[in-house]
Amino acid sequence: MSSTSQKHKDFVAEPMGEKSVMALAGIGEVLGKRLEEKGFDKAYVVLGQFLVLKKDEELFRDWLKDTCGANVKQQGDCYGCLKEWCDSFL
Amino acid sequence: MPLFEEDPAHLSKSRLKSDLVAHSVALPPAQSKKDVYVELHLKHIDQKNAADFSSDEEDQVRDVADKEEDAEDAEIPDPSGLTDDDLKAALLEHGFKAGPIVASTRAVYEKKLRKLLQPDGQDHLNGAEKGVVYSDSEEEDEEEEEGSQGAKEETVERSDQTQQESSQLSQEPVKDTFKDMFPDTQATPTGIHATRRKPIKGAAGRPIQYVYPDTPASPTTQERRAVERRLVPIQIQILVFLIVVVLLYLIYACVEDNSFSPFVALLESLNQGSDGEEGLLLPAETQDTPALSGQE
Repeated sequence: MSSTSQKHKDFVAEPMGEKSVMALAGIGEVLGKRLEEKGFDKAYVVLGQFLVLKKDEELFRDWLKDTCGANVKQQGDCYGCLKEWCDSFL
Repeated sequence: MPLFEEDPAHLSKSRLKSDLVAHSVALPPAQSKKDVYVELHLKHIDQKNAADFSSDEEDQVRDVADKEEDAEDAEIPDPSGLTDDDLKAALLEHGFKAGPIVASTRAVYEKKLRKLLQPDGQDHLNGAEKGVVYSDSEEEDEEEEEGSQGAKEETVERSDQTQQESSQLSQEPVKDTFKDMFPDTQATPTGIHATRRKPIKGAAGRPIQYVYPDTPASPTTQERRAVERRLVPIQIQILVFLIVVVLLYLIYACVEDNSFSPFVALLESLNQGSDGEEGLLLPAETQDTPALSGQE
């Protein structure tokens, strides 16, 4: 976790607008598909879940694992990018 | 979990309906019979339930009678049988401040409560330790050290255990010693504390605050901070650069004018000297050879 991915930087750099859920760091094509199947088609829907869990890292990680089977790294990436996005834009 | 094996046919219609909603399955027309719901339930939910998604995230139905059959944790009240408010209260009892409990978060909170209710005391050290992995706040580290003995050894293996840790992340019941030592801090199972919001600058010209002393800083913010610390104001940089340039130029000019010229002169004189000797020697040789040949 010493450096952040390009995807993370891209996501955190600007308001998320209508970006798809796959724009989130840690969410690739496979996880993105699964999330879309569950109705989380846009990044802001995941943000909503993130916020309704009160930005709690553990709960969000659990939720992400249950919803799309994300592994620990993917959970961490996704959490980190949403957290940072909130810190600068919320 | 036995819960998942309960026959959907035994469930009430409204329960089935909310189950379907919770699993984002399109509902049949409002007037359809229960059988339709049961069929949908069997088709979508019972297949999907891969042991991690609770089939009852619904909030309206408190059909406790149905829950009797699941002998999962007889002594522990089953979180799925609780109402939203009860669930929230139960979490609070265990020192966890829950957020809003709605359809999409209920499953998460139920799971959380189950973990909190798990009575094994061995794991909670692990859980506490793992909770810290992702937060580098000093304060929490201290708490962990005081709170959990023997957690040190685990830190070494941390990296290999990433798979396990997510499952153990929060199996730590509230510690009384912890409460005694920190009466002010609200005990949370993971050691992650909610922090109050700080004013920030951001998108619309609001103040930017990259540093959140209370929250674990992300790698980027740390990087950014390090860069900021290293930075010297640009004016000073330019000034220093100009001074260096001027100095270099002065040295160059001095060297060109004075110091090298004696050497150059010396070199030239040496060259001339050797040329002169050669010139003297050559005629002598040429004079010798004809004399020799003449003698022969």
